[in-house]
Amino acid sequence: MNAVTQHTLTIMLQNETGALVRVAGLFASRSYNIDSLNVAATADPAISKLVLSIRGDDQAVVQIVRQTRKLIDVLEVSHQATAD
Amino acid sequence: MPRNRTIVNAQLMNTQSTPASAGNLHPLAAKSMSGAEVIVQVLADEGVDVMFGYSGGAILPVYDAVFRYNATHPNDDGSEPLPLIVPANEQGAGFMAAGYARASGKVGVAVVTSGPGATNMVTPVRDSMADSIPLVVICGQVGVAAIGSDAFQEAPVSTIMGACAKHVFLVTDASVLEATLRTAFEIARSGRPGPVVVDVPKDVQNTALTFAGQGQLPIPGYRARLRNVQSAQLDDAGCASFFEALAKAERPLIYAGGGVIASGAAEALRGFVADFGLPVTTTLMGLGAFDTTDPLALHFLGMHGTAYANYAVEDCDFVLTLGARFDDRVAGVPDKFAPRAKFIAQVDIDPAEIGKVKTVDWHHIGDLRRTLERLREYGAAHGIQPRQDGRYAAWHAHIAELKRVHALNYDHDSELIQPYAVIEAINRITDGRAIISTGVGQHQMWAAQYFDYRAPRHWLSSGSMGTMGFGLPAAIGAQFARRDATVIDIDGDGSIRMNLGELETVTTYGLPVKIVLLNNRGDGMVRQWQKLFFKGRFASSDKSLHTKDFIKAVQADGFTWARRLERKEELADTIAEFLAFEGPAFLEVMIDPDAGVYPMVGPGMSYAQMITGDFIASRQRAAGDETLRNDMF
Ligand SMILES: Cc1ncc(C[n+]2csc(CCOP(=O)(O)OP(=O)(O)O)c2C)c(N)n1
Ligand SMILES: [Mg+2]
Repeated sequence: MNAVTQHTLTIMLQNETGALVRVAGLFASRSYNIDSLNVAATADPAISKLVLSIRGDDQAVVQIVRQTRKLIDVLEVSHQATAD
Repeated sequence: MPRNRTIVNAQLMNTQSTPASAGNLHPLAAKSMSGAEVIVQVLADEGVDVMFGYSGGAILPVYDAVFRYNATHPNDDGSEPLPLIVPANEQGAGFMAAGYARASGKVGVAVVTSGPGATNMVTPVRDSMADSIPLVVICGQVGVAAIGSDAFQEAPVSTIMGACAKHVFLVTDASVLEATLRTAFEIARSGRPGPVVVDVPKDVQNTALTFAGQGQLPIPGYRARLRNVQSAQLDDAGCASFFEALAKAERPLIYAGGGVIASGAAEALRGFVADFGLPVTTTLMGLGAFDTTDPLALHFLGMHGTAYANYAVEDCDFVLTLGARFDDRVAGVPDKFAPRAKFIAQVDIDPAEIGKVKTVDWHHIGDLRRTLERLREYGAAHGIQPRQDGRYAAWHAHIAELKRVHALNYDHDSELIQPYAVIEAINRITDGRAIISTGVGQHQMWAAQYFDYRAPRHWLSSGSMGTMGFGLPAAIGAQFARRDATVIDIDGDGSIRMNLGELETVTTYGLPVKIVLLNNRGDGMVRQWQKLFFKGRFASSDKSLHTKDFIKAVQADGFTWARRLERKEELADTIAEFLAFEGPAFLEVMIDPDAGVYPMVGPGMSYAQMITGDFIASRQRAAGDETLRNDMF
């Protein structure tokens, strides 16, 4: 249960000034290392899609997902654990 | 800033406007206004009745609009509808707004200039975030075209504040200014409250706009999550499993936090306790959520909580957590918190707090007041009345005995004035109904311990951040929120120095704020830790050689009632006179510099290892000091 595994989070984000910094800043200030980050436009110009991967145990990842959902400009967060 | 970015922003931030029916059309809709006038009009519409702030180049259009608004909209008695209170330092303005918000439950508003004005506001914004206090902070910013050019008085406010606040807006498109302001208030006060910063470039303040009188920004993610939480009704199955667990408990306890106050659930909590008979301990932030003079009240728990509250936590077999978050001052060792509890329940509006520190057996994410009322309804409908059935008679007797045997106590025979006695003497007169603000340190803990708090919003203290300098400006803000209330700042000689400039703000605005300075000639709380963890080496915490004469200082700032109390025999009379004085008054009490804060659960320790000092009865031999480690904070 406490095993550290790779997790992929997909975050749909409103394209507001500073929104990306707030997501990255949240992870940094809660001591999560972002292993990879991809930001892409979506069909809706008001929304961008972030795919990022982090490592952590399940509980830690649940916590950061919940914290991410507190960011005002975050629309949706989905999370899947990938094999390590 | 690249052009395309501005265009994209304008597109994205299309305001959400519901077609207004003729009935609710704003009387000023379609009127031409400058950006600054729009800001002031939205503030007025939001019910703001006082603001705190300091002017400067980048916010001057707003200050001018406030001036003109006040000149053209006087109240019936001739007073200003939107008085702008000027502190000595923007940090003071931020804590005044926070004190106002804490005492009233309304959104506190501060308005400051760019660069240094905004950076001086960082501490109160972070402080308010950490204690879930609703603020709207409006900062001037350099013109849109100058952003990123290292312009005069430019600071990256959205980046700095984005990391500290509930949310920050940088308004680069004037057409969304009005909707942004309104949305800032919505975000500040909804869900788990917090500070929202709106950074407004000067040219946006000067842009000619048409006032819409309505409309918010689309923030669909936030609103959808908020709706989920707010509409979450505890269902029958949830109620049933809660009461099933409670039925097995013999020693249930409520652990209530600041969330009870933030959500206006204190009355519901009182009813819940009346129905079911669970004793209540609160966190430091929760003081006043439950009348501390009630027989079932255990005052507050944690590092410097009462011994009887901490022992009750050790003894209980069921915990109902309400708007509290098991922080490290309460659950220093989460695994050892409430070690005999077979069932822990948690209700919170913030999903991220459920199980964050301590795994719980039952939880509900939703509004506290409604949840408590729902449980009461369910209990009534199902004839659940453990209190009337006498189920907890033994537990209640145990609680009463803990309160009697392990009551707070101190050295009554000392020649020196004991700080605890000072607070007790004030409390005998104010009877738990004064609004108390504090600095941070020993005096803060003594004020938390020795005052009664009979209702919410009477205890204003920087709980999570622990910011020295909070007390004086917070008292000023609270007095603006509650003009008729007795507002007392219990301060320390170190803490009060941090925002000492605000003494003059008290007299400038003729506020009857009472200031009690518990002077122990230094940073007492730091010395207490140095005694415990650093073999008494008082590195930079002793101020006995400092020369400040506080009485002269406050007199210079216009206090006519200013006294230094040095003799124990004069305590009661001096305090009676001090509190009876109609205007601002300052009482410096030279206290025993060695007075400590007890009980103390050291960092990284369990409640079983609590040190109770020489005057409070301990249940077991206290753990030796050698078990305290100085690498724990
Ligand atoms: C802004 C800030 N700086 C430093 C600290 C660390 N600190 C906590 S309590 C304390 C001493 C406070 O001294 P004083 O206000 O005189 O209170 P006392 O403990 O003596 O009652 C210090 C330095 C803090 N809490 N806040
Ligand atoms: Mg001191």
